[in-house]
Amino acid sequence: MLPKSGIRILGQGMTGSEGARALPWMMDYGTDIVAGVTPGKGGLEVNGVPVFNTVSEAISKIGFVDASIQFVPPSFVKNATIEAIDAGIKFHIVQAEKVPTKDTTYIVSYARLKGAQIIGPNTAGLISPSRKLKMGLMGGGNPQKMFVPGSIAVLSKSGSMAAEISLQLKKRGKGISWAIGIGGDRIIGSDFVDLMLDLEDDKETDCFVMFGELGGTYEERVAEFVKLDKIKKPIIAFIGGEFTMTLPSEVQFGHAGAIIEGNRGNPEYKRQVLAQAGVRVAREFDQIVGLVEEVLK
Amino acid sequence: MILYEFEGKEILGNNGIKVPRSEVIENLNQPVRLKVPIVLKAQVLSGKRANSGGIIKVLKEEDVSGEIIDLFGKKINGERVNKVLVEDAVGFAKEYYISISYDTLVRLPVLTLSLLGGTGVEEREKSMYPINILEQQVVWDKLNQKGLTDTEIVNKSRSKFLNDLDLFLTNKNKKSFLILVQKLINIFFENDCLLLEINPLVITKTGEWIALDAKIKIDDDARFRHKEWNFPPRSVPGHEPTNSEVAAKQIDLLDYRGTAGSTYFDLPGDIAILSSGGGVSLTAMDALIEYGGKPANFTEYSGNPPKEKVVKLTEIVLSKPNIHGLWIIGTVAANFTDIYETLLGIIEGLREVEKKLDKKFKFPILIRRGGPREEEAFDMLRKVKDFQLYVYGEEATISQSAKIMVDLVNKYKKIIDS
Repeated sequence: MLPKSGIRILGQGMTGSEGARALPWMMDYGTDIVAGVTPGKGGLEVNGVPVFNTVSEAISKIGFVDASIQFVPPSFVKNATIEAIDAGIKFHIVQAEKVPTKDTTYIVSYARLKGAQIIGPNTAGLISPSRKLKMGLMGGGNPQKMFVPGSIAVLSKSGSMAAEISLQLKKRGKGISWAIGIGGDRIIGSDFVDLMLDLEDDKETDCFVMFGELGGTYEERVAEFVKLDKIKKPIIAFIGGEFTMTLPSEVQFGHAGAIIEGNRGNPEYKRQVLAQAGVRVAREFDQIVGLVEEVLK
Repeated sequence: MILYEFEGKEILGNNGIKVPRSEVIENLNQPVRLKVPIVLKAQVLSGKRANSGGIIKVLKEEDVSGEIIDLFGKKINGERVNKVLVEDAVGFAKEYYISISYDTLVRLPVLTLSLLGGTGVEEREKSMYPINILEQQVVWDKLNQKGLTDTEIVNKSRSKFLNDLDLFLTNKNKKSFLILVQKLINIFFENDCLLLEINPLVITKTGEWIALDAKIKIDDDARFRHKEWNFPPRSVPGHEPTNSEVAAKQIDLLDYRGTAGSTYFDLPGDIAILSSGGGVSLTAMDALIEYGGKPANFTEYSGNPPKEKVVKLTEIVLSKPNIHGLWIIGTVAANFTDIYETLLGIIEGLREVEKKLDKKFKFPILIRRGGPREEEAFDMLRKVKDFQLYVYGEEATISQSAKIMVDLVNKYKKIIDS
């Protein structure tokens, strides 16, 4: 599911302000962006990359594309993703925040039907230093500051926290195989479990660090799969949002998915089920690196 | 946004779901036109209104005005009653629970049913059936996802849904129920609902389905395609918003660029907080409390909001009495944000707020931030002499900066106490 090195990537919405700014950053890192797609902007070139009106036109001109990185505003995400899936692209990163839940759920179901994979929405993308692969805003223009090659896969509901964790690891001489923002929304294309199952077979990855938050059930699902022995590599988990337990429920704390609804989403409950399953749970953020050192001894 | 019952029932009624005849009473001068037997229902967002005296059945005409006065004077689960929904009392044969909501376990909408509706349904057994969003129909097997991947769930055999209905319904009512379910699924999708809950849904002796309650939560992110959504702003269930909370919410409503103040809560502590980024703000708050700090608020800004919005938020955060410190906390690994511009904006903002509030901020201000143009930003901050600034970049983790903040505040309190 996760891309190998040397893949060919198409950028949807690459001519917008965020896309145009991120494009040279991705290319400087070594990522192979072969085409951009923006309806009505066909014929343009950004940073030496040709822009086409549609995904299928782009593919017919420049050949096979492995993945799409989206810089598309939330209201256009559904159509842009369906277009790219229909054109045969199998791996998609949807960065937009505030995509309606109905649209997200639709494209996630559509991708399943067509055998495609979505990461996001509401993500800063992913980075893999050894593969020289950087899809999206993760790491901004200076990814070397926090991301160095290593054997730890950092999976996070927050892009900033993936970068923070990677930086703390780097300070103690540790690097990452992958840092992936899974997205902070209620419904996302790939959750912790989806990615961990995939990375179980990744030779470069020795352990996982996961940054979770209050809300939803994606952290609980990790506990379930660890108990069933479907995820075997060690996991170090941190769950944010304890303080929200003293505040009213039904409130969104930052990310759209960070919300307590009914009896679901309690951060302490998440920690408990993870710990019971054998996951190493960091009570404090600064304990994460120490726990990683223990499992990698 | 959660809709009040009367708003939800209007959507249901407009879309072919039968609801009781009703009127909304907004003040004590407004006459009640419906005749007894009627039900008076306090319009608050929190559930379990019946247990808190928010639902009153009135059988005698002479009791109506007294009960209305009573209800308007009440607080239901902490919420003031500003509107009362008056409805015909409906007789029924049986009550059910039905809802549609998004479920993170299957990452699909699910239909939830319970044979026993009414108060206390939370504790009763419910059956859940995923809804195929591509076909907008219930098709998949009863929800039992333990240890399955999504693909495995989706590929499971066709639904037992129809068979299960035999437990709930007679053959005669099954057909009308299926039509009702399909109508609700359509309403759920067409109105970009996050939750559509009817509890109780009742069936009369003559086989008519009536929604006696409605709880609808709409997806604020879909607002761009719903020009008809002109619901006034509101707080959350069981919470009466403070003035600052109302003011903070206004910031985003008046300017769509970035987010500042959409989530704001007053807390009883003395450390004002301006945090940026969803995950960071959660981590920071937990760390501060862990080290014994007492936050005066929770708020979060992100998505590169313009300076004016951050100034407004700063003003709200610092206008509280007894603030002993300000913690400006964000990631040191910012992807996109121009750190120089952001921090310059905050310093200028602080000066503006000092003028507006006619105060001098003498308490410690800790900034922990980093990213593009951070060196220029730190140079600029070193020259700032009118505030007690403590500036950290990546040399301090979020937790370490929390601890330093708490220590600085404790020192400051000793000085002002002596």
